Amino acid sequence: MIQLWRVLLIAGLLLAWELAAGRLFNEFWSSKPSLIAARLWTMLWSGELARHTGATVSEAGLGLLCGGLLGVLIGVVLARRPRVSQVIDPVVMGLYGLPRVALAPLFVLWFGIGLLSKVMMALSMVLFIFLLNTLEGIRTIDADQIDLLRTMRAGRWYTLRRLILPAIVPWIIASVRIGIGLSLVGAVVGELIGANRGLGWYVEKSGGQLDTTGAFAGLAVLLVLAVVANQLVVLIEQPLTKWRAK
Amino acid sequence: MAGEVTVMNATPLTAITRPRRVSLEGVHIAFDLPDGSRLPVVDGVTLSVDEAEFVVLVGPSGSGKSTILRAIAGLIAPVQGRITVDGAAVAGPPPQVGFMFQKDTLLPWLTVRGNIQVGLELGGVPRAGWAARLDELLALLRLSGFGDRYPAQLSGGMRQRVSLGRMLAYQPKLMLMDEPFGALDAQTKIALGRELLRIWDSERRSILFVTHDIEEAVALADRVLVFSPRPARIIAEHRIGLPRPRLVRELRSDPAFASICQAIWTELEA
Repeated sequence: MIQLWRVLLIAGLLLAWELAAGRLFNEFWSSKPSLIAARLWTMLWSGELARHTGATVSEAGLGLLCGGLLGVLIGVVLARRPRVSQVIDPVVMGLYGLPRVALAPLFVLWFGIGLLSKVMMALSMVLFIFLLNTLEGIRTIDADQIDLLRTMRAGRWYTLRRLILPAIVPWIIASVRIGIGLSLVGAVVGELIGANRGLGWYVEKSGGQLDTTGAFAGLAVLLVLAVVANQLVVLIEQPLTKWRAK
Repeated sequence: MAGEVTVMNATPLTAITRPRRVSLEGVHIAFDLPDGSRLPVVDGVTLSVDEAEFVVLVGPSGSGKSTILRAIAGLIAPVQGRITVDGAAVAGPPPQVGFMFQKDTLLPWLTVRGNIQVGLELGGVPRAGWAARLDELLALLRLSGFGDRYPAQLSGGMRQRVSLGRMLAYQPKLMLMDEPFGALDAQTKIALGRELLRIWDSERRSILFVTHDIEEAVALADRVLVFSPRPARIIAEHRIGLPRPRLVRELRSDPAFASICQAIWTELEA
């Protein structure tokens, strides 16, 4: 039932856009769904769609993966060393608060206009999400559970494998959800600054040529990517957290 | 049948002393408070538990009895005094000591089998024997058929059975039990106490058990140590001579049982 309403809502919005364009406002500024669909169709057959989508997905995906692994790793290590955590806390929070989008020009300077600078942008966007969520997740672990494993003389790896990592799985999943959007932002911002491919680059190029249809086509693909990625997370989440079910 | 000689053993077996499993001598434990002062929690406690002995510490809640168990388990260090387990001074968790908390402390992402297997893994039981031992423990704890459930799907009493199973799987020589049935309703508590005695009868490990429930203490113990409010000191000791196996329902109407409980009540109120 909810599915039906969702489809109806989206169809309604698209229809309203289609009808309003050229009547209520100039089509030049807003383009319209039929033109965008036609453009995507052309891009699909010319190979442009695959090339730009592939570039953005690999930038965002690699950034998310590396940022996630690094964030969890740093979080797990810092959780074991509360003193160190306290000392570096202002630095972490400072970097976290910094609008990392502003780093893009520097990253292009440091890492070039290729894949690496975009991966680093995406990574910098998601790293702190994973780091802070991991720290918070470990903080919520019941001290008695840690003590219980200690009384059974469990080693550090055993505790990590059996207690710490499973306990932070829900926190990591939440981070992935937030990270999907942020890693796309990172990749696209990187592409806006300096690139020769990618959906962000395509949007930027289209805008520069006053081609609103092209810009919207790029945005549409980005939107679909975020939705699909989120659905994938839902699929992965269920088997990983089935123990929570009553 | 003339000439057959019947030899009667005249010396009672009770004279044989059993090896010490745990001993505490003049143990003081204090906690550092955030304001810099020190809160004495355990005030010069001397006690011992022999092999296969069931000792219960009874006293008001929050009196520091749990702290004593934690110190024996090597989780906290005393400020003064000496603790030994199997003759070795405690510095960090000693081997073959099982711990059971009032909370079940099961790992929620593992099934019943998975949680009990944690005990087998850490107790150094060879992998080849796991499956058989798991089935045996599930049967012993009346959990057969629940092996694949997650803790969230079990009642409080069943979760504590799983905790007990995990501890038994660990093969401890000494079981430290900190109000393990304290959060359960009265009937479940009695049922689990009965099962603990049944298991203890067949496996004969040493148990040091903390509770604030006097009847539970007397029903289970070989020896009851009565503690003062914080800082914890031992104010009385009772050797419980009630015959075993004990049935709680029958104990209730036993005047000897009632008089021991009464005596402990009086000591606690003094």
